[in-house]
Amino acid sequence: MQSEWPLLGPSMWSRYVSKQVMVTVENKELRGWLQTVDPVSASLVLVNFKKEGGAVVQVVMGHAVRQVQALKVADQETAERIQACFLPPMIQNMSP
Amino acid sequence: SIPTSIPSDADAEQLQREQKARSQLRENFLRCLLSMTGKKVEFDMHENVKVEATFGASDIDVLNFQVSDLHTPIGVQKEALIRCQDVISYTFEI
Repeated sequence: MQSEWPLLGPSMWSRYVSKQVMVTVENKELRGWLQTVDPVSASLVLVNFKKEGGAVVQVVMGHAVRQVQALKVADQETAERIQACFLPPMIQNMSP
Repeated sequence: SIPTSIPSDADAEQLQREQKARSQLRENFLRCLLSMTGKKVEFDMHENVKVEATFGASDIDVLNFQVSDLHTPIGVQKEALIRCQDVISYTFEI
């Protein structure tokens, strides 16, 4: 089954960024906050924050994606946290 | 006659928006790859195979990953290339 996800293009992919998404692959469903999409491979970068700090990052290869569903929109604070994940420490927002 | 300039202007604007979105997405993805360098990464492959390795680099078009200490079911491979087509997803911690 060929998914339409890799064909959507940057504008459509951007609409899913900073949203919680459910990605269906081969035999399971993966969830997380969408940090970005690689426009070359259509891979999704999912982030799941841990209670004790830090986060688990799961990158789903674009070719393996069957379906992507947006579940909810991140609030301001979470959206900032998602976008700051991979920034160098120098320019990350300082948290108290 | 149908004016051709309006749609082509609209196309140019649309193209510019697409390019901007594309560059932002790509920059974030490259930062993600960068932060993965030297980290333990678990690769979820087809046929329910999971392998662990230390991430080195990816080529620009994301066709191969260069990894070290690849733990396979038949032993540890010191250096290896993983073909991205065989990978479903990969996970690491930050």
